[in-house]
Amino acid sequence: MALIALDQLTKRFPGVTALDALTLELEPGVIGLVGSNGAGKSTLLKILLGLLPPTSGRATVMGLDTARDGTRVRELVGYMPEHDALPPDNSATELVAHLAQMSGLPPAAARERTAEVLRHVGLFEERYRPIGGYSTGMKQRVKLAQALVHDPRLLLLDEPTNGLDPSGRDEMLALVKRTGTEFGIAVMVASHLLGEIARVCDFLVAIEAGHLLSAAPLATFTGQTGVLAVEVEEGSDALAAALAARGIQTRVDGRAVLIGLDGHDSAEHEYDVVRDTIVDLGLPLVRLEHRRHSLEDLFRDRPDDERPVAAP
Amino acid sequence: MTTEPRPVVDASSPREASSAQMPTTASSATGSIFDLGYRGYEGPRLGRQHAVYALFVYSLRSAYGIGRSGRAKIVPIGLAILATLPAVISIAVRAFAAQAGAGAEVERIDPIRYDSYYGYIPTIVMLFVAAQAPELLGRDQRHHVLSLYFSRALLRIDYALAKAAAFVTAILVLILIPQAVIFVGLVISNPDIVGALADNVGSIPPVLAVAATIALLLGSIGLAIAAFTPRRAYATATIMAIFIVPGVVADIVIRATTSGLTRYIVLVSPGSLLDGVNAFLFGTEPQAREVVRADLAGALYLAAAAAFVVVLIGALVRRYQRIEA
Repeated sequence: MALIALDQLTKRFPGVTALDALTLELEPGVIGLVGSNGAGKSTLLKILLGLLPPTSGRATVMGLDTARDGTRVRELVGYMPEHDALPPDNSATELVAHLAQMSGLPPAAARERTAEVLRHVGLFEERYRPIGGYSTGMKQRVKLAQALVHDPRLLLLDEPTNGLDPSGRDEMLALVKRTGTEFGIAVMVASHLLGEIARVCDFLVAIEAGHLLSAAPLATFTGQTGVLAVEVEEGSDALAAALAARGIQTRVDGRAVLIGLDGHDSAEHEYDVVRDTIVDLGLPLVRLEHRRHSLEDLFRDRPDDERPVAAP
Repeated sequence: MTTEPRPVVDASSPREASSAQMPTTASSATGSIFDLGYRGYEGPRLGRQHAVYALFVYSLRSAYGIGRSGRAKIVPIGLAILATLPAVISIAVRAFAAQAGAGAEVERIDPIRYDSYYGYIPTIVMLFVAAQAPELLGRDQRHHVLSLYFSRALLRIDYALAKAAAFVTAILVLILIPQAVIFVGLVISNPDIVGALADNVGSIPPVLAVAATIALLLGSIGLAIAAFTPRRAYATATIMAIFIVPGVVADIVIRATTSGLTRYIVLVSPGSLLDGVNAFLFGTEPQAREVVRADLAGALYLAAAAAFVVVLIGALVRRYQRIEA
């Protein structure tokens, strides 16, 4: 039995089709759900939780129809919402233990699981202090802990790295990965950052404007090496022109010059050319980096007729 | 829930003891993640029923600020003391007077009794409701905590009804403690305890009935307003206005008009309703001017209060069925 099965799943809101006839079967693992903002990710998660009824079609989680058996589904699923959802005057311990009881755990078990789960997400002494004083990273950990506290079979995470600094992102992603691998809990991570998703998941589902763009193992997508961004204080147009003269196609995006690196082997050569060109022109170089994969990269090279059309 | 810090590693627990490594304070400073091994949960899952019960208990406690910061306790506990103090004092005065041989005089000026106490208590309950109903409902809305509740075993209607039941119970506690003080005081300060007991037992049904009416009517007004007004200050102000303004308006309208129909306006004022119900159930005269002037049948007040409670609780449930979470 598939972990998650969608059959012609459609959700319409007044004036917008959030999900359009999604059909999909997913097996346990760490599943990435990518799409830009408004692509329908959060709507899909809410349907999987049984919080929103589909307009038509069906969604099942572990064989349970989410529309009919919502309460049963929610006992087996943990959910980490995208937005801030924590009362500032409770401590992490109080809140998570209370929510564990809301999932049906007896009080003693709720306290025990709370202590354990907070430790797993890396909250120690501070868990007795009011949440209002926590950093964003600590708050995200509390949100993850409350989703894990009842030992769910499936974890639904909506933008778990929202608002985190780079090291916070790394730690959160490591936690998500550990949850999926060591804890043996299936995870679905929704994010608009393909680069982050690619670091933790082994299966990728891409949706855009409610349509299924692709659903495949991550390996299918790793062929893409992304974009090299060269940011200069000034003279980005001159740099683009000079690079074009040396046979490298570029795109100017404000102060940055974007270079598509489509072959692994030739990249070495292109780095040299870029470096030399900047030196020759004497440009003030600010940054030279691989652009983080974003959903746009996935879509950029698609012919127009293959791109998803915006919902009416 | 638990406020006492527990040791990080509890040797008595086999699960904790099985993990050899122990996180230290130094590690918490850097927030690094330890590999302690994850253990699943094999214990009982009590489901929706337990979740509703736990939410009821949690909300009842937090209505009095229990399990919350000291500041959250000031208003509810302070009001509970204000509600009880007159009962304690009057019973004490009565006891001293009886010892000093002036018992008959004090009896004659008629200190606080069950029915007259209800002329005083609605004001305290109104303040309690205006302060604590936004606390009970607004907090979860303001901080978007509802999405954490609704993604669990309990339903939206469960949340609304558990909160309502907890709040009404909290108000009942506020009302019935001073009444219990009066009851015990009247009985034990009387030399003839058995006779006093027999005298006072008859008062219990109306005392409970009026308490239930106050708790249900004022509680459901407060909850219905708080559910639609996440901002605390607005909710408190609106609740107080709904409690006070209609009574004043009703008094003016009844005095200014001569038509018999306008006197029914008194039925939209919570304070007047409670005064009418109190007089009806204790078989005494109403105290509020507008209620005296309206001169309606006592049962009408009870029926109107019941109708309001049904409509308001319905509105509360409906609000939580639709609220964005």
